[in-house]
Amino acid sequence: MEKNQSKGEAIVVTSGKGGVGKTTTVANLSTSLAEMGYKVAVMDLDIGLKKLDLILGLENRVIYDIVQVIEGECTLKQALVKDKRFPGLSMLPAAQTRNKDDITPEQVQQVCESLKEEFDYVFLDCPAGIEQGFKNAIAAADKAIVVTNPEISAVRDADRIIGMLESAQYNDINLLVNRVQNDMVKSGNMMSIEDLTEHLCINLLGIVPEDKNVLISTNKGEPIILNQRSQAAQAFNNIAHRISGEDVPFLQLEDVSFWSKLRGLGRSFLPTR
Amino acid sequence: MLSFIKNIFKQDDHSSRRQANDRLRVVLAHDRAGTSSELMETIQEEIIQVIAKHMDIAGKPEVNFIREGRHSALDISIPIKGR
Repeated sequence: MEKNQSKGEAIVVTSGKGGVGKTTTVANLSTSLAEMGYKVAVMDLDIGLKKLDLILGLENRVIYDIVQVIEGECTLKQALVKDKRFPGLSMLPAAQTRNKDDITPEQVQQVCESLKEEFDYVFLDCPAGIEQGFKNAIAAADKAIVVTNPEISAVRDADRIIGMLESAQYNDINLLVNRVQNDMVKSGNMMSIEDLTEHLCINLLGIVPEDKNVLISTNKGEPIILNQRSQAAQAFNNIAHRISGEDVPFLQLEDVSFWSKLRGLGRSFLPTR
Repeated sequence: MLSFIKNIFKQDDHSSRRQANDRLRVVLAHDRAGTSSELMETIQEEIIQVIAKHMDIAGKPEVNFIREGRHSALDISIPIKGR
């Protein structure tokens, strides 16, 4: 925990394709970093189709949204929803009844700069697609996390997004592979992590296994990192530690039976991450 | 080069993983260069015409994408008839 420089770091989480786990990633990395003691803000930029409030379980606490902040109807402070479970975490909600053209990249940049004054990390949850919402989201960040699945259309979209980030002068682009099923990789029916890094040629930040607990947590509105039995939770926690600058080895994805044994064993003497 | 060697070893492998990788390789090369396979054919024909004006071509010329990291290059191979 030595991240107390004058300004925080803004990280955009993007993917091109929808449904690969951007919002889940934002929710879990932000809660994990908040639990580690950092001050974290999350901006939902999927205006018109907001999700982050639901995934974080904060939907009943939303009063104002980012468009109202930009249009001067409320202050940034008023719009931020504090997560009572994680004192360091605040969410800036998206507007549900507006659309992506109602804000500009410059306005997002301004809001993000103000957040960086106060928070160690600012996550920008980017909408799917490469249109205005994507442009709004990438205007403000210092680095990018590209989320993909080991699925051919998701990888193609990720490649397109990486190309667009490079054109936008990003030089810190990181890959997060979500929903990996190791048994399918082994049986030759799913692309491996090595396959994906060979196709996409960017830094690998993390690997998150397919995990039913993710849906269960989402149903409850609880971030999965609270579930100590979940492989995905462990993966997200590892990634959060990597973001904070720690060198954490990648999870060795093994078959589920092996995993459940290891987990029981691991909890008895390994430090939990 | 590495992927070439890998391909040799993977030759018997008709898994769906292999097919996904092969299809992605082609699609990503075209996406990145903003080209299509029709354009490749046009380029191939035009290059062959230029060469054929001055030399005898033996066999079928090939135009392929090679990938170096995130960059693509055109690999054009035109066999020339010996005397």
